[in-house]
Amino acid sequence: MTRTAVTTTARHRPSWQHRAGQLAEVLGTLLVIFFVVFPLIWIALAAFKNQIDVYSTRLLFKPTFDNFRAIFSDPIFLGGKVWVSTLVSFLTVAITVPLGAAAAYVLSRHRFRGRDTLFLMILVTQFVPAVVVAIPFFSLFRKLNLIDTPIALVIVYLSFTLPYAIWMLRGFFDSLPVEIEEASFIDGCNEFQTLRYVTLPLVMPGILVSAVFAFISAWNEFFFALILTRSNSLTLPVGTMNITGPRGPMWEQLAAAGLIVLVPIMIMSLFIRKYFVEGITVGAVK
Amino acid sequence: MAASSIPVRKPRRKEFRNATLRWTLLGPALFVIAATIIYPLISSFITSFRHWQLTDSPEPGDFVGLENYRRALSDAGFINSLKVSGEYMLLSVGLTLTLGLGIALLLQKPTRLNQFARALLIFPYAVAPVLKGYSWRFMLNPEYGVYAKMIGKLFPPLDHFLWLGHEFSALLVIAMSEVWGWAPLFALMFIGALGSIPSETTEAAKVDGATSFQIFWKITLPLLAPVIYIVALLKIISAFKMFDQIAIMTGGGPGDSTQTLYYYVYQLAFRNLDMGYASAVSYLLVVLMGIIAALYVRTLLSRGD
Repeated sequence: MTRTAVTTTARHRPSWQHRAGQLAEVLGTLLVIFFVVFPLIWIALAAFKNQIDVYSTRLLFKPTFDNFRAIFSDPIFLGGKVWVSTLVSFLTVAITVPLGAAAAYVLSRHRFRGRDTLFLMILVTQFVPAVVVAIPFFSLFRKLNLIDTPIALVIVYLSFTLPYAIWMLRGFFDSLPVEIEEASFIDGCNEFQTLRYVTLPLVMPGILVSAVFAFISAWNEFFFALILTRSNSLTLPVGTMNITGPRGPMWEQLAAAGLIVLVPIMIMSLFIRKYFVEGITVGAVK
Repeated sequence: MAASSIPVRKPRRKEFRNATLRWTLLGPALFVIAATIIYPLISSFITSFRHWQLTDSPEPGDFVGLENYRRALSDAGFINSLKVSGEYMLLSVGLTLTLGLGIALLLQKPTRLNQFARALLIFPYAVAPVLKGYSWRFMLNPEYGVYAKMIGKLFPPLDHFLWLGHEFSALLVIAMSEVWGWAPLFALMFIGALGSIPSETTEAAKVDGATSFQIFWKITLPLLAPVIYIVALLKIISAFKMFDQIAIMTGGGPGDSTQTLYYYVYQLAFRNLDMGYASAVSYLLVVLMGIIAALYVRTLLSRGD
């Protein structure tokens, strides 16, 4: 809908009706904005409230940093969880992205028998529910003494980050005109040199986007971390479950921890904003 | 970027035929996928025919044939979890599509306010599901929750209503925490799809005297149908896989009213440590997902042509 559409409607209708319609639209948009951002704002505010203010719905209060101080000291020690989450997420990305890019390149450029079937199978693995993956790995990791280690988490996280990255990166390779690579062949480069010096630099934005997606899904992951960790390798999302007092969750401290989970992800989302919708639906919507 | 379906431009040169390089590049990824998905799928399948109580033995026990599957058919907990999953799926898919479409129609005109609102739509999706659970639980607390108080002001009979204490409302609240993440994202997709509907079509209908409601039902909605279909499939999958919010908000309760199939498998495997039976029930979940996956793949393939 463009501006011309608005003016034509205006010509056909009495102007008070038009005004009322416009007002309703603005109110509707404001309601949408409220629905989308209010829970985030409410978490952010609660993180700076004291134990009394957090139970009131007033918007004015005296902000405090006590909650952040509290969650990083005894008995919650969130610092350790931040470290585990960071380590696990970066390791997951560090394995996912190179393996994913290499596979996606082949699936985009090479033609060989069974390629499309292989690609579809990789796509279909994303439909496997995590709980099915968790059952055998739980008993395997118990046997190997890997329960409660970051390595165990990285291994199972690859089960969902890698197929997803391949699927996404293939789209980026496909959108690159093959003529550029052909020119490089004519100039005498072999395939590996072409991949290294021509294709990869061109597909770099796609690699960054897939890295961010892998990071977000590892950072936010809860189910595997709940099952496979006990105390030493608790991640941030699971660690928040310990922030309880005698009367249930300590909301002000929980909100502070929530903000620590939230802020890095929000910054990254902004960074890849342009690719967000495509990244999630990967080709579902053309 | 069209991270799209199957056919791809055909490389004409022999350079893309180096089989050694091909399998060197593909090999590691295929190995990881085989180890982290194919292996557990096969292993769970085999376990589903065995008796295996992890508290008794770290090794799987005897093969019992179809015993575990037969047990599921007469297990009230399993039947209930199927029902809850079905209800939850309908509730969350319906709400997400309706709200997503509503938001898209509202923000369709590119005014400055709408542009600003659109930029905000990406935020809720990336919020950790655990936090979605906590924040909605906090905001709907009957004593001090800010949403609970707002609802109480607007509909006094619902003042101090125990949102997570009643069967249907608990499921609804869990659904809302997920809808909050998904509906804005769907709205973004719908806005994109709406933009590709030529304005001449709707203009012509208007000149012919169609009301906005008629235009929506007869023109906009049919043109959006393919997009709606594919995002609905994605949402159905996510509804069956939803776990985090149940763990944070209700733990399956009150009673077993929010015990979805997924959560039930989790209980069987990691609370009761009944690995054999849990594997069998989880395989019924795999079959369900397989059907949805097949529909999804078929749609992608038919579009590729």
